[in-house]
Amino acid sequence: MSDVHDVYGLMVEFASTDDLLAGCEQTRDAGFKNIDAFSPAPIHGLTEAIGYEGKGWIAKTVFIGGFIGAMSGFFLQYWTSAIDYPLNIGGRPYLSWPAFIPVTFEMTILLAVFAAVFGMLGWNKLPQPYHPVFNVQRFKLASSNRFFLVIESVDNKFDRQATRAFLEGLDNAVGVYDVDY
Amino acid sequence: MTEPQGVLKPDPVIEPGHDYGSITEKIASIVDTGRQPKFWWVGFGIGFALMQLFLVSAVWLLWEGVGVWGINNPVGWGFAIINLVWWIGIGHAGTLISAILLLLRQDWRTSINRFAEAMTLFAVACAGMFPLLHMGRPWFFYWLIPYPNTFGMWPQFRSPLVWDVFAISTYATASALFWFIGLIPDLATLRDRATNRTGKFVYGLLSMGWRGSAVHWYRYEVAYLLLAGLATPLVVSVHTVVSFDFAIGIIPGWHATIFPPYFVAGAIYAGFAMVLTLAIPIRWMYGLHDFITARHLRNMAKVMLATGLIVAYGYSMEAFMAWYSGATYETAMIEHRLFGSFAHIFWALIAVNVVIPQVLWFPQVRRSTAALFCVAMVVNVGMWLERYLIVVTSLSKDFLPSSWGEYAATRWDWATYIGTIGLFLTLMFLFLRVLPLISIFEMRTLVPGGAGKKGGDDE
Amino acid sequence: MNAADPVRFGALKQRALLVGLAALALSLVGWFLDPQQFYQSWLVGFLYWIAFPLGAFGFVCLHNMTGGAWGFVIRRILESAAGTTPLMALLFLPVVLGLHDLYEWADEAHVAADALLQHKAPFLNVPFFLTRAAIYFAIWILFTQLIVRWSGQQDEGNEPRPNLTRRIQLLSGAGLPIYAMTVSFATIDWGMTLEPHWFSTIYGMLFVVGQGLTTLAFSIILLSKLSEREPLAGVVKTGHFHDLGNLSLAFVMLWAYMSFSQYLIIWSGNLPEEISWYLNRSAGGWEFFAPVLIAFHFALSFLLLLARRRKQAPSALMRIAVWILVLRFVDIFWLIAPAFSPGEFQLHWMDITAPLAIGGLWLAFFFHRLGSWPLLPANDPRIDEALKAHEVHA
Repeated sequence: MSDVHDVYGLMVEFASTDDLLAGCEQTRDAGFKNIDAFSPAPIHGLTEAIGYEGKGWIAKTVFIGGFIGAMSGFFLQYWTSAIDYPLNIGGRPYLSWPAFIPVTFEMTILLAVFAAVFGMLGWNKLPQPYHPVFNVQRFKLASSNRFFLVIESVDNKFDRQATRAFLEGLDNAVGVYDVDY
Repeated sequence: MTEPQGVLKPDPVIEPGHDYGSITEKIASIVDTGRQPKFWWVGFGIGFALMQLFLVSAVWLLWEGVGVWGINNPVGWGFAIINLVWWIGIGHAGTLISAILLLLRQDWRTSINRFAEAMTLFAVACAGMFPLLHMGRPWFFYWLIPYPNTFGMWPQFRSPLVWDVFAISTYATASALFWFIGLIPDLATLRDRATNRTGKFVYGLLSMGWRGSAVHWYRYEVAYLLLAGLATPLVVSVHTVVSFDFAIGIIPGWHATIFPPYFVAGAIYAGFAMVLTLAIPIRWMYGLHDFITARHLRNMAKVMLATGLIVAYGYSMEAFMAWYSGATYETAMIEHRLFGSFAHIFWALIAVNVVIPQVLWFPQVRRSTAALFCVAMVVNVGMWLERYLIVVTSLSKDFLPSSWGEYAATRWDWATYIGTIGLFLTLMFLFLRVLPLISIFEMRTLVPGGAGKKGGDDE
Repeated sequence: MNAADPVRFGALKQRALLVGLAALALSLVGWFLDPQQFYQSWLVGFLYWIAFPLGAFGFVCLHNMTGGAWGFVIRRILESAAGTTPLMALLFLPVVLGLHDLYEWADEAHVAADALLQHKAPFLNVPFFLTRAAIYFAIWILFTQLIVRWSGQQDEGNEPRPNLTRRIQLLSGAGLPIYAMTVSFATIDWGMTLEPHWFSTIYGMLFVVGQGLTTLAFSIILLSKLSEREPLAGVVKTGHFHDLGNLSLAFVMLWAYMSFSQYLIIWSGNLPEEISWYLNRSAGGWEFFAPVLIAFHFALSFLLLLARRRKQAPSALMRIAVWILVLRFVDIFWLIAPAFSPGEFQLHWMDITAPLAIGGLWLAFFFHRLGSWPLLPANDPRIDEALKAHEVHA
C-alpha cells in the first residue's frame, strides 16, 4: 500500500466533547490502534476512549526525585558539617540532625518538583518543534473550541479511502482532513 | 420546592452562557488585541515611575553603603527584613490558591489562580531584593550557596539564615515552574491566535509544541496535581523557615514555639488581602465580572477572616505566655510592646489587624467590593506593622539596657520599600499585557455539561 | 427499610458498656490501692478520649462552614460524637478529686517554696482552675447540644429550611474560633501545668491538631463499617474515602510539623526553663517514645496514606485509621505521663484500665446517640449537589 506513507494520517473534527468521546470509542471499537485525540481542555475518560493503557510513570518519577533530593540534602549537610569542615556551633553536635531537617525538606521538594516538571515534559516528548497535525489549517482551533481525532497511517488497518469513509461516517463529524507530513 | 436562599446555594463560579469559544475569546483578546484600557497605562505608569525610585535608591545604597538606611547597632535588620517577610508572606496566597484549593477541589480558584501565582513570583522577586541589598556587597551572594571553594569553607547549616536561602530559592524555582506548566496550554492558544510573526514565534517557542493530545493531557493533569501536592507543604515550610530566622535564637519576643504556624497564617492573611487588592481593580478594569464573581470575593473574604483569627490567636498566646512564663526578659519585652515605647504601634496593629477585619463577619461587607477593598488595604498595612513590631521591638530592647538603641527609618528606607512596590506593579502590569490573566483551559473545564455544544464562532 | 430510619447499635452499645464497666470496676479497685496512680492514669485516658467529642465538634463546625461531600457522609458520626460532651464533663470529676495529687501548684506548701509558682498563682489556683474548667464544659455542652438539636430539626419534613441551616452555619462560624481557644486553654490547664515551670506557646495547637486527627481516624473506621449496609451503602463512594484519607494525610503532616517545630525551637535555644521538658522525656525508657512516634505516627502513616489505592479501599484505610488511633494514645501518653515520673519510664496496669473504662463508657453513649437518629442528614440544601458532584470525581 503505497498511500500509507504519503500522509501522516487522517483527521476528523468535532464540535463538542461528547461527539469526540463517541467518535473515539467508535474508532477504537472498529479496531484502530494508532489513534490520538486533541482537545482544548482535559477531558475525563478520553484516554480510555482512545484505548490508551499506559502506566502512570509520573508519580514514580516524582517519588524518585524526592527521594534523591532528601538523601542528597541530608548528606550534603552531614558531610560538610561533620566531616569536611567540623565546627562547634554553641556546643551542638556535629551531626545536628534537627537543624538539618529544613534544608533536607527543601531539597526533597526541589528535586521532586524538577522530576514532576521535566518528567511530564519528557514522557510527553516535549518540547517538540514540529508535528504533522499542525499542517491542518483548522487544527489551530484545537486550542480554542474544536476537537480532533487522528488515525495515523502507520496503523495496520489504515487505508486512505476506507478510513476516510469511516471517519466521515462518524456521528456529527464536522470535516475530515488529510494530515500531510 | 421553595428556592433556597442565595447564602445556601452558592453563586456560580462562572456566569451562565459561556462556552469554550467565548471564554477563549474573552480572555485571550485582552492579550492579543494589543490595545489596553486607559487604566492599564495609568497603573503601569505609576508602577514604572516608582520602579525608578527603587533603581535610584539601590544605586545610592551600593555607592554609599548600607549606612544610608536607618539600620544600626543593635537594630541591624530594620526595614530590610520587615519588607522581606512582608513580601514573602504576600506571595504565599498565590501558592495557596493554586495548590491547596486545587487539592480541596475548590473550583472557584480557577479564575484567580493565574494572576495570584504571578503575584507570588513578583512578590518573591521583590522580597529577594532586600536580603541581597542588605548584604552590602550583593555580588558575593553566592557565598551562601554550598560549593567547593578555595577557602575550604562551607555554609553553617545550623543557622536558620542558611535554611532561608534554600527555602526561598526553592520556593521561587518551584513557583516559577508551577506557573509555567500551568501556562503551557494557554501559550498554545495564544500561538494559534497570533497574527504577527513575533507573537507566533515567541508564543510558539514558549508553548513547546503543545498540541492538546489526550495522552499529553493525562500526564499533564497527573503532574499538575502532584506539583500542587508538593507546593502545599513547600509554602508552609517557607514561612516556617522565615519564622525560624526569629524563633531559633533566644531573643525575647522571638523565641516562641507558636511562631511557625502563626507566621504561616499571617502570610496567608496578608496574601489574600493582596489578592483582593489586585482582583477588585483588575476585574473592574477588564470587565471580568463573569469570571471573577461575587462568590470569589466572598470566599477570599472568609479566608481572610479565618486566618486573621489565627493571627489574633497567636498574639494572645504570645502575650499570655510571656506573662505565664515568668521569664524576666519575656515579660519586659511584652511590657515594652503593650505599654512602653512601642505601644502606639502595638495598639494600631491590634486595631487594623484584629479589630477592623471583624467587619467581615457581616455578609453586607463581604458583598460590597468597595468595603472589601478597604479591609484588604487595612490588612496590608496591618501585616506590615506586625513585622515592624516583631523586628524592631526585640532588637532595640534586648537583655542589657546598656545595649538598647532606637531605630528610625530614613527616607532611603522608604524609597527602597516604595520602590519595590513599583517593581511589583510594573511586573504585574506587564504580565497582564503579555499573558492571559485567567487560566483559559481551566475555565473551559468549568463550562456546565462539559463542552462547547453551541460551537461558538469559527472565524 | 426506610433510609430515614435510625440504625440501632444495641449489641455494640452493650459490649462497650460491659468493657467500660468492667474496666471501671478494676480501676476503682486500683483507686483504693493507689489513688495517686489512679488519678494519673485517669488523666491520660481522659485527655485521650476527650479528643473524640471535641475533635468532632471542631470538624462539624468546619464542615458546616465549608461544605464538601466528605462531611455529609460522616456528619452524623461527628454530631453524635460531639453530642457526648455532657458525659465527658461527668468523667472529668476524678480529675477534680485528684487535683492535689496531680498538680504541684495546687499544693500550698509547694507554692510557698517556689517563687515562680507564686508569680503564676493568679492563674494557677484551685478555684480559678475549676471555674475555667466549668466554663470550658459549659461552652462545649452548649454549642454541641445546639448543633445536634438543630441538625435534628433540619431532618424534619421534606423541605430545606434555609433559616435553620443558616442558623447552624452562624453557630459553627462562631464555634470554630471558640473551639480553638477553649481547647488550647483547656489543654494548657490540664496538661501543660503538670510541669508548671515549663511553657510552650504552640502547646494548645498541638492538641487541636491531634484532636482533628483522632476524629478523622475514628470517623473513617465507623464509615468503613457503616458503608457496608443501608442506608449508607449506596451513598458512600470511594471518593469520600479518598477525601478522608487525604485529610488524614494532611493532619498527619500537620501533627509532625507542629511537634517538630516545637522540638527544633526548644532544642536550638537550649534554655534551662524549656529544655527540661524534653530532658524528662529522653531518659529512663522515655527516650524510645520519640523515635517510635517519628517512625510510626509520622513516617509510616505518611507513606501508607500517600498511595491512592489505599485511600480508596475502605478496608485498607480503616486499618491505617486503627493504627493512627493507637499511636494517638502513645503520643498523649508521652506528652502527659512523663510529668509524673520524669526520666523514668513507668507503665502501671491502671494506665490500661482507666483509658478502657473511659473509652467503653464513651463508646456506649456514642452508639446510643448514633442509633437515635438517621445516619444521613436530610434537607440540607447543599447535600444533593455535594453527593452528586462526587460521582463525577470518583
